[in-house]
Amino acid sequence: MKWREFQRMQKVAQLGDRFLSYVDQGSGDPVILLHGIPTWGYLWQGIIPTLADSHRVLTPDLLGFGYSDKGDNFDRSITRQAEMIDAWLEALGIERTDVVGHDIGGGVALRLATLFPQRVRRLCVMNTVCYDSWPVEMMLQLGHPSVYRKASAKTTTAGMKLGLKQGFASSPDDEIMEGLLAPYSTEVGKLSLIRNAAALNTNLTTEITRLLPEVRAETRILWGEDDQFQPVEYGERLAWDIPGARLVRIPDARHFVMLDQPDEVAGQIASFLR
Amino acid sequence: MLGLGKPKPVDEYEAHGETERIYHQLRQTVRVTGVNLNFRTWAGFEHFFPAMWDTVQPNLETRIFEDAADQVRAQAVHAADLLGRVGAVAEADLGESQAFQVRAALNLYHYVNPKMLVLTSAVRLALEGESPGQPESTDVELIARGAPAGMYPMEMVDEDPESNQVEKVFRDIKKTLGLSQINSDYRTLALWPDYLEAAWKGLKPITQRDEYRTAADVLRERSRTLARRLPHPIPLSPEQVEALGEDADEVMQTTERFEQLLPGLILNIALLALDWAEPEALARSPFPAPAAQLAGGAR
Repeated sequence: MKWREFQRMQKVAQLGDRFLSYVDQGSGDPVILLHGIPTWGYLWQGIIPTLADSHRVLTPDLLGFGYSDKGDNFDRSITRQAEMIDAWLEALGIERTDVVGHDIGGGVALRLATLFPQRVRRLCVMNTVCYDSWPVEMMLQLGHPSVYRKASAKTTTAGMKLGLKQGFASSPDDEIMEGLLAPYSTEVGKLSLIRNAAALNTNLTTEITRLLPEVRAETRILWGEDDQFQPVEYGERLAWDIPGARLVRIPDARHFVMLDQPDEVAGQIASFLR
Repeated sequence: MLGLGKPKPVDEYEAHGETERIYHQLRQTVRVTGVNLNFRTWAGFEHFFPAMWDTVQPNLETRIFEDAADQVRAQAVHAADLLGRVGAVAEADLGESQAFQVRAALNLYHYVNPKMLVLTSAVRLALEGESPGQPESTDVELIARGAPAGMYPMEMVDEDPESNQVEKVFRDIKKTLGLSQINSDYRTLALWPDYLEAAWKGLKPITQRDEYRTAADVLRERSRTLARRLPHPIPLSPEQVEALGEDADEVMQTTERFEQLLPGLILNIALLALDWAEPEALARSPFPAPAAQLAGGAR
C-alpha cells in the first residue's frame, strides 16, 4: 500500500490540546499496533490485513510522529506516549486491548503493561527498547538540538534513510522507505523528529524493570535475531523477567523485523492472538 | 511580479543571531507557530529587519492590534461569503484526519494573515513618510504571549516540490497571480496535494473577478486605516532605512508587494474555510487572545 493511501485511511482523536491520527481496520477484539522511531503507523501496513481478519486493528501514530500532532513544545517521552494511548483508548471506549509494540512503541507497550495493567489483555513486543538498550547512537546524534540548524529536512531524511538500512536484513523497498520517512520531509517534520529523538530516555525503561516480574498479561516476544540496534540478548532478558513470556527468534531479520519477514511476523502475531 | 525575487528569504531553521532572536519573539508576540513569508523576506534585509522589529513589536502585543486584525478578518469573511463557495472539501475526498488537519491549517492562516496585513500596512505607511500609530498612548491593554494551544504548526512543503502534482499547481498559482515565490499558505496546503489542487481549481476563477479585486482593495484600505490607529508610534522613515545601509526603495517595494498580496490571501483562506464553517462563526477569531497576566507590573 502506498503511504498516501494509508494516510487517507487515518481517523483522528482530539485529546486535550493534542491530536492523534490512527487507522482503524477490521472488527472483533481490539489490538493496537505501536510503532517506533523514526517511523509511524505505516510501518504496520503489511501486517494489518492479516490481523484485521479476526480483530479490530487500531494503529496510531504516536504523539509527534507521522501525522499525529507535530507541534513543538510538548512532551514526547514514552511516559507521555503511554498516557496518551491510555487517554485515546478511553476516548474510543476500549477498556482492555491486546497491545503490540516495536522499538519505542515496545517501550510504550511495556509501560502500559506495568503501569496501566488493566488496559493490557495480551502483550506482544518485538525488537523493543527495554532496560538500558537505548537510545542507539544514531538517535542520540539526531536528538541533539543543534541538528535543527545544521541540516535541512532533505539532508536529514537522506541521512536517516542511509542509517536505517542497517535495520534491514533485506533490501528495503524504496516506496516503503520513502513512506516511512515522508512525515519528516518538511522542516516541521524534521524538528518534530529531532524532538522525538531528544525525548528518548533510558530511565523510562530502567525504572519499570522491577515491575516486569509483576506483568500478568500473556506475553510474546518476537525478535529479528540479527538486529544491530536492539540485540536479541535484551529479548532473552525480557523473556526471563516477564512471567510466562516466550521469545520467538525470527531468522534473517534485523530491527525492522515486520518488513524483513512480514508473513512470518503477521503469522506469529495472529497465532498469539488467536 | 508580486512576491519577491530578492532578498533571499531566511528560513526558520537557517536563522541565527539577531534573526533567530526576532523569529522567536515574533512567534511569541504574534501568537503563531511559524514565520510567514513576509517576515522571512524582510529578514533578508539584515539591518532593516531588527530595526523594523524593534519599532513594531510594542504594537503587536496590544489588544488594539489584535482587534484590528479581528476586524480585517471579519470583513474578509463577509466579502468572501458574497463571492461564493469553492467546494474543495467535497472534491478532494480527504480522509478524516486529513480533513481535520486541513481545517486546522486554514485556522492558522485565517488567524495570522490579517495580523500580517495590518502590520505590513503600518510598515508601508511609515516608509512612505507617514507616521502611523499614536504618539503617546497609556494604559494600553496587552495580550498574552505565545502560540495558542492546539494551533497547527506552520508546516510547509519545499518551494520546489518533489510532487509533480504540487509543482504543477504552484506553477499555475505563480503564473495566475504574478508571483515569484509561493506563499506559506499554499505550501502548507500542499501537504495534501489533492486538496491543494481542488482548492486552487475553485479559487482561480474567483480571483479573476472584479468583485474579488474590489474586495481585496477594500481590505487593504481598511488595514491602513486600522494601522494608523495603532497605539504606539512606528518611527521608520526612508531616511532611517538608508542610514542603516539598506536600499530604502527595495525595502519599500518588498513591503508594497506584500501589502498588495495579503488581502487576496486573506480572502482565499476565508473562501476555503467557508467550505467548513458558517460565516458568523468564521468571522470570529479562531484563537481569541486572553489578556496578558503580568506579574510585578507591565512589560
